[in-house]
Amino acid sequence: MFLPLRYPLANLAARRTRTALTVGVVALVVVATTLFSGLVSSLKETLVSTGHPRNLIVLRKGSTNDGSSSLPLEAFQALRYFEGVAREGGEPLASPELVVQPFFRTASGGRENVLVRGVEPVALRVHDEVELVEGRMFAPSSGEAIVGSGASGRYVGAQVGDVLEFGRGRWRVVGRFDAGGSSFESEVWVDARELANDAKRPVPYSGVRLRVADGADRDALARRIDADSRWALEAKPETEYYAKQAESANVFYLIVIGLAVLAGVGAAFGATNTLYAAVQARRAEIGTLRALGFPRIAILTSFLVEALAVALLGFALGAAIAAVLGRVVSQALGGIGFGAATFTTNVIQLRVGPSDLVLALGLALAIGLVGGFFPASRAARLRPVEALRKA
Amino acid sequence: MIEIRDVSRVYRRGADEVHALEGVSLSIGAGRFVALMGPSGSGKSTLLNLLAGLDRPSGGDVVVAGQRLNDLSEDELAGFRARHIGFVFQFFNLIPVLDAQRNVELPLLLTHLGRDERRARALTALRVVGLAERASHKPGELSGGEQQRVAIARAIVSDPEIIVADEPTGDLDAKNAVEILGLLRDLAREFGKTVVMVTHDPRGEAFVDEIHHLDKGVLRDSVPGGARP
Amino acid sequence: MKFLPLIWSNLVRNKLRTALTSAAIALAVALVCLLLTMPGGLDRILNEIASNNRLVVLNKAGLVYPLPYSYLQKVRAMDGVVAAASWTWFGGVFREEKGVEFPNFAVEPDPIGVVWEDWGIAPEQLEAFRRYRDAAIVGRGTLDKQGWKIGDRIALKGTVYPVDLEFQIVGEIPDAQAPHLWFQREYLDQALRAAGRGGLETLGTIWVRVDDPDEVAPLLARIDAAFRNSEAETASETEKSYFANFFGALEGFVTVILIVTGLVALCIVFIAANTASMAVRERMGEIAVLKALGFSRRLVFATLFAEATLLSTLGGMLGAFAALGITAFLRQGVAGWSPALGPLGSFVVTNTILVQGLFLAFFVGMLSGVVPSFGAARRPVAETLREVF
Repeated sequence: MFLPLRYPLANLAARRTRTALTVGVVALVVVATTLFSGLVSSLKETLVSTGHPRNLIVLRKGSTNDGSSSLPLEAFQALRYFEGVAREGGEPLASPELVVQPFFRTASGGRENVLVRGVEPVALRVHDEVELVEGRMFAPSSGEAIVGSGASGRYVGAQVGDVLEFGRGRWRVVGRFDAGGSSFESEVWVDARELANDAKRPVPYSGVRLRVADGADRDALARRIDADSRWALEAKPETEYYAKQAESANVFYLIVIGLAVLAGVGAAFGATNTLYAAVQARRAEIGTLRALGFPRIAILTSFLVEALAVALLGFALGAAIAAVLGRVVSQALGGIGFGAATFTTNVIQLRVGPSDLVLALGLALAIGLVGGFFPASRAARLRPVEALRKA
Repeated sequence: MIEIRDVSRVYRRGADEVHALEGVSLSIGAGRFVALMGPSGSGKSTLLNLLAGLDRPSGGDVVVAGQRLNDLSEDELAGFRARHIGFVFQFFNLIPVLDAQRNVELPLLLTHLGRDERRARALTALRVVGLAERASHKPGELSGGEQQRVAIARAIVSDPEIIVADEPTGDLDAKNAVEILGLLRDLAREFGKTVVMVTHDPRGEAFVDEIHHLDKGVLRDSVPGGARP
Repeated sequence: MKFLPLIWSNLVRNKLRTALTSAAIALAVALVCLLLTMPGGLDRILNEIASNNRLVVLNKAGLVYPLPYSYLQKVRAMDGVVAAASWTWFGGVFREEKGVEFPNFAVEPDPIGVVWEDWGIAPEQLEAFRRYRDAAIVGRGTLDKQGWKIGDRIALKGTVYPVDLEFQIVGEIPDAQAPHLWFQREYLDQALRAAGRGGLETLGTIWVRVDDPDEVAPLLARIDAAFRNSEAETASETEKSYFANFFGALEGFVTVILIVTGLVALCIVFIAANTASMAVRERMGEIAVLKALGFSRRLVFATLFAEATLLSTLGGMLGAFAALGITAFLRQGVAGWSPALGPLGSFVVTNTILVQGLFLAFFVGMLSGVVPSFGAARRPVAETLREVF
């Protein structure tokens, strides 16, 4: 009892300009929303993908981030031997680290705070998502550094073989590392003691990262560290620590939703307009179909299909443009920098991913349904006699 | 086949009441070709809409093919029309974006026939009106006369008992008008359909079995038409 | 303008379409205005608030590297310096689970009224700030966002320094975007001593007021020269330059925002053009009649064109007002300085932005009206009449 698919689709094809304009509106909304959503997703992904679920980050109590914490040497010495800390080849997987955020010069002449992490060699084993992809690990006390892939592309002197100038010194870049897209890729790693010297830190470490042994209770270990009365420390799973930082990106989601809603409603109004005009223009046709015996539901669904078809075309066009545009913009800008609350710059690549496309598809369908609903029901409710009236 | 008993139809137009029909009674036998004629505003189109199941009377009964139409709901009326009534309009009212064959097939979508069966019947109907070779042309590519013939093919494709035609020759030149009238008469004579036509066209008188004259909503008289039995 | 009734009657002829189109345009313009508040907030800081008469001295290695406190005296003694004050980042949190929601600093209470004279802090408030050790001056942006007022007592937990501090709010920085909280340096110093942590030996940045523009460049050079080859080398710059650098990382984000804004603006064009072409198409007959009656082509074109422009501008006005309303609402809780966005999140719709939004609507209306109007005006009368009748 339904009208064939050909009917609404043929009608769209017949009114080429109007269809094109409406598809254009939906496409533009899709591009705008997808780009923004992609930006936010990329940021979130970077922050959330950071951290190993079996790692604990230990900082001074009350410090919200590595940069503002400091850890006494004795504390580190003791923590390494706590029960529950993993061992490899007899050595505890405890990575003491110093975090400093000096200025770096960007390729475009700007100045950004970059997270420089002073580490010992054991760091590569505790942070096993970090992998050297070019060059080698720095040698201790040699003025060398390794850089994350995100940082490598953004700052002057950060390519392997170059010399980086930050803090009070010069550092030779001997390697580049990837870290599964996490925020470590925006960092530069050097020898902890050299960094402490350069930054004139009396205490060489700001915190320690511990790998919890297989089979050991991670949270119990954390509680034991917290409760230790010798030092005021706080231990937290690494993933949780970074997830918290990801929360600061939540305000962006608000913007994305706001954008989607406002733009979506606007586009829906545009679609409604177009469809109302179509219903008006095809009154006699609708009356005829009703006279022939097609039930109201057939008319309703047919017009809804028209609206949805426009929406889907808009989505397809918009998604394609967004994917290309996102890549172009990201390349042109050399990544997009976000200064999070931790006074450091996270470099993210704008990537349009499946979740962004799903959001855009949902938006497009909503535009089609909302925009098409009223005109479609007006069409369905037309009384045949009135629709066929010649005046 | 069609029984109209003391039927009236009243509309509201703003604050006014318009009495389009009052106390009209007539009956139309099966297989007859009848015309409803009268000046503008006489109610002839209203009467046609009522017996076609497109509208409801304000008073009285409309009984078509044994079914009292007053008893049916909106959706049931739609189904009734699909099964028993074929329509022919003054301005043809073909779907511009579909080709002739698909236009003719439309009523068959309301049945349970499969795709091939529908196609076959549509082509048959087109053959009856002499337009089988224009099956894949869109209405925009057909002349007025051809479009009306496609419309007639559409009207007969699901084999309804009744054909309702509202000013079928109103938009055609003399030659085509006569052809269409002839076609309608053949539908009654050879296919046994009951054809009810509203028309201004005096040429129609020669083709029909009966003429009913209406004026100001009332049935004035009924006379035999010029068609030879 | 005697044609205004004619134009108006055409717009109200199909109320639904007019309403839908202006609503759609209103939404799009509102969106454009909202989006523009983001780079707008940044622009405002860079161009209106940042001063060329205020210099900042920071550690060359980075903002998180401190400077010895003795530097402040040395800078004060230099020629051309009207006044100098220091900022030291405390990094206190108000609600622990939210982290640092607004920047808070330890400052010297005496010079701040001079160094930041242009910020318009009331003299009595500055006096109160000097008088009470635990006094705090808070920017209006944070006051609004947190729902505080002058007279409130608040507490911040230290993250960088292991002390918690309580303050009473005695004054405000009037600017709606200002997020800072200032408190007395002495207060922090005393708290640290009381906790057995020694005193506050360092500072974060030094801010210098210079009145003679010619003194700026030489003074910058002099300051950096004074500390070259010492343990903490300085990098001095004007406030303008400092903010430009500080917010430099946001450049990428701003680019994306501007692209998105452009897309939405293009949307408006499409929506308006669609409506205009529908309206024109339906009125072919009347247009032909008008022309037959003697209306010149130019007149027909002008009336159609005016109609499209008027519709679009009306939508634009609605949208601009909506943007004002939405941002006022947002500033109640969500908007304001945030660690992630900084000044981008302030959502202040300035007059510039309103004008930009309205101009966009007007311009778009014109643009969208041009093509269909042109076509309608040009068609030969006979052709149209034939087609319609």
